[in-house]
Amino acid sequence: MIGRLVTLGVVVTVLAVAFVMGEQVVRRDEGTQKTTVIYWEKWTGDEAKEMRKVVDAFNRSQNKIFVRYLSISGVDQKTKLATAGGHPPDIAGIWQDQLCQMADEKSLMDLRPMADAAGLNRDYYIPAYYDALTYEKGLWALPSTPASVGLHVRPDLVPAEYASPETFPKTLEGLDELTRKISIRKPDGRIQMAAFLPSNPGWWNWAWPNYFGGKLIDGDKVTINTPEARRALNWYAGYSKQFGSQEVQTFQSGFANFASPQDPFMDGKVAAEMNGVWKANYIRVYKPGLKWFAVPMPYPADRPDLAGHANLSQDVLAIPRGAAHPKEAFEFIKYVQRQDVMEGLCAGHGKNSPLAKVSEKFFTTHPNRFIRLFDKLARSPKAFSPPMVGIYPQISSEMNVAFQQVSTGAKTPEVALADAQTRLEGLWATYRKQILGIQP
Amino acid sequence: MTPLQKKQLKIALTHVALVLLSALFVMPILWMLTTSVKPINETMTSPPRWIPSQFQFWNYREAVMYGSEELGYIPFLVYARNTVLITILTVTGAVCSNALVAYSFARLKWPGRDLFFSVTLATMMVPFPVIMVPTFALFRWLGWVGTFRPLWVPAFFASAYSIFLLRQFFRTIPMELSEAAKIDGASEIRTFVDVIIPLAKPALAVVALFTFMGSWNDFMGPMIYLVDQKTFTLSVGLQAYQTTHGGTPWNLLMAASAMVILPIVVVFFFAQKLFIQGIATSGLK
Amino acid sequence: MNRHRDARVGILFASPWILGFLIFLAYPLISSLYTSFTSYSVLRQPKWVGIDNYRELYFDEVFRGNLVNTLYYAVGAVPLSTAVAIGLALLLNSKVKGMAVYRTLFFLPSLVPMVALGTLFLWVFNSDYGLLNSALRGMGISPPNWLGDPAWAKGTLILIAMWGCGQAMIIYLAGLQDVPASLLEAAELDGAKPASQMRHVILPMLSPVILFNVIMGIIGSLQVFTVPYVMFPGGAPARSTYFFAMYLYDNAFQYQRMGYASAMGWVMFGITLGLTLLSLKISEKYVHYEGG
Repeated sequence: MIGRLVTLGVVVTVLAVAFVMGEQVVRRDEGTQKTTVIYWEKWTGDEAKEMRKVVDAFNRSQNKIFVRYLSISGVDQKTKLATAGGHPPDIAGIWQDQLCQMADEKSLMDLRPMADAAGLNRDYYIPAYYDALTYEKGLWALPSTPASVGLHVRPDLVPAEYASPETFPKTLEGLDELTRKISIRKPDGRIQMAAFLPSNPGWWNWAWPNYFGGKLIDGDKVTINTPEARRALNWYAGYSKQFGSQEVQTFQSGFANFASPQDPFMDGKVAAEMNGVWKANYIRVYKPGLKWFAVPMPYPADRPDLAGHANLSQDVLAIPRGAAHPKEAFEFIKYVQRQDVMEGLCAGHGKNSPLAKVSEKFFTTHPNRFIRLFDKLARSPKAFSPPMVGIYPQISSEMNVAFQQVSTGAKTPEVALADAQTRLEGLWATYRKQILGIQP
Repeated sequence: MTPLQKKQLKIALTHVALVLLSALFVMPILWMLTTSVKPINETMTSPPRWIPSQFQFWNYREAVMYGSEELGYIPFLVYARNTVLITILTVTGAVCSNALVAYSFARLKWPGRDLFFSVTLATMMVPFPVIMVPTFALFRWLGWVGTFRPLWVPAFFASAYSIFLLRQFFRTIPMELSEAAKIDGASEIRTFVDVIIPLAKPALAVVALFTFMGSWNDFMGPMIYLVDQKTFTLSVGLQAYQTTHGGTPWNLLMAASAMVILPIVVVFFFAQKLFIQGIATSGLK
Repeated sequence: MNRHRDARVGILFASPWILGFLIFLAYPLISSLYTSFTSYSVLRQPKWVGIDNYRELYFDEVFRGNLVNTLYYAVGAVPLSTAVAIGLALLLNSKVKGMAVYRTLFFLPSLVPMVALGTLFLWVFNSDYGLLNSALRGMGISPPNWLGDPAWAKGTLILIAMWGCGQAMIIYLAGLQDVPASLLEAAELDGAKPASQMRHVILPMLSPVILFNVIMGIIGSLQVFTVPYVMFPGGAPARSTYFFAMYLYDNAFQYQRMGYASAMGWVMFGITLGLTLLSLKISEKYVHYEGG
């Protein structure tokens, strides 16, 4: 009898302790007289450290507002759920390509009134970046760190006559020719070195039609199946044909994580790689001393008007609908937009700056040797961002599927694009009817 | 061949089969263990290496210490503590509530009992994503999002799988035992505690083990309901190793994974006999 | 009088589950059923659209692809893992030294969190430097691209399902303890070969357990999510490994179409229920209950 009671006592005590400890872990510290602004951000590790520096500096610079930085995995999903629940963070560090969908759902606050009042208008920024944040007459976020994409090249793996930014092929045809000439195969047929592979890293499949002069969205129509897109996909398929689709897939599956010395570019598996301004960070960490240079992405030979094109991306700061302290949140966002703060943050991340004005010091002290190129690419009139439409996630998925179908040879480019076009037209019509309330 | 030789051959063949098959089964785990002590540049080589050039046992320490004040990294010990807390609460709640409920379905008569049991079984067929969002909405309404409560409170309300298992077991215990207790004047609770529970220990141990495994490895639950990084559990934390933007330290991730599964392995190894006997007697017929 | 008291006590004991069911299941179930008739982005109030979601599902070729993929997977994984689990259980039932160690080894993979398991298998099946292909090449065989070739990707997942059969194996092992040794001895004395013993003694005695595991296996394989999610993002390549649960998840959380996802979930439930009832019907002929 006693034994039983003792057991019961122990169990209850253990339970009580576990319960209390559990509650303590999740309890948030109560605020002080300052207004606390909750800031959810996607970054961890070094990138988080850089933003924390900015947050700390802001908190020190005044004593009315306290910004609390939280590293949240799945920040976009959690922000949406929290907004739906009526308790969103005050600032959400999401991605530019989600803005249209969230704006259509009226889940973000229009920052234009506050931004204009603070002088943060289109003239203050590089136009392409600012335009990517405006949609349906609203300004839905301001940048935290932007990026542009270029072609990275290993001069030690290409013939001497091409081994400099000035002499490297400027056209896609030139790049194709180079690949045919210098790629190396192993005796058993597997690829040892491919000069270039459009499917590496394969993060921007949606952009290929743009690189051939096409557009995915035209006004309020979905324009996936255009001559430019077909041309892009045929060009892409050409690489599978050249090497053999199985060989390309096997080769690519052997690519190690981009953040390791076995990254294909650093490891010499490819001589040229399409990648963003941040690539230099990884090279610095994993293969310092590696010789490389960057050039704009090549253009089709018959479209010299596209020279200097690049696809852009941005990490942005948005204020969800229903945030508890929007004005104070905007004070912090405004602080981040200050030229010295922004340059410090972007240099810390190894990225370019989204502001129209940039200091010489930013260029000279920037860790990326080719930062001027990436800056120039962002300012190019030919720079472009993901299509500004609410069904962008679906478009991205369908494009990825189409590219996979083409590289495995399951479908021809024409069929793949036609199927994607039909499916997206259906999804777009449903979206317009259900979400935008536009009757067909 | 003599019968004895036949028997020896059979045993020998069985051994061979066991060794080969278990090697095959365990191979991914072996890979995980050898990778966990490799230097980073040997983790993803082509062709793959089994034996590291040096045995970096300190990877384990580094995986655990891979955390700093500002939670910019992965605070492994914090995640471990959180997981332990939640698991203790979950397992306790599960064993208590499921025992009570299964007892009711197995040995008490009440109107609608069998119908409700069929409904209980049917609930196991509902795909989790279907109820994911309304359940989230419910917890949001209660104000429990961001806390541990959505992860352990439902355990105190029983679950279909465990109810099913325990009910089968309770039905194998002869009714005469309960009746004898009743004649002696025992209340239902008395009968439950004094007669049934002692006989049910193995089956309860099974429920405890499976619940422990479920809670320890639960990924979706913590991912949806936990917000602040310092409240994360091990399963979510493991995933964070992969998405850290400083590069995935594969060897540390494997070391961390090895440490995460170790408790369950230890528990299982020592408590095997108990479980197998437990399920055997539960009949499942 | 006694009846009423009995009923009260019975319901009292069952009350945790009754409450739990009403709070944590009934409400979400009804709510999601309602949602399936709406357009709901989670960010705004749901908007009634009647059967539009179901109609759209009917014409959705990606959903049809999911049906094919998921059923292909279930038809492959359930029989295979059943056979493997029973086979292993038989093996582990022998009176051989070190059985405790062997049992733990076989049970081990089912303890590994699915996320880690998926990552591990990404390496093992990697086409270029993975363990499997390196071994095959060493033997002079030209190996397929397990992960990148649509023709092989689903098969790879079915193979992987084998590694998770630890729980089922334990349950079969326990079931085998119940097969009376006397029956087996009698059969052997009658001159029955092992295969025949299998067919006429062991399998029938195990049949209730097999039914339990098969039904659990059907339910589980129709909802397969985590391992494909980790190994084949987006159902790559070319949606050949795109299953129900993944498409549902994408619709709910990526495309913000919770209404559509709910409709899909209910269709999934219907199919699962149908297959389970079918299994039960078939089982009436083959399952043998000892002592009723």
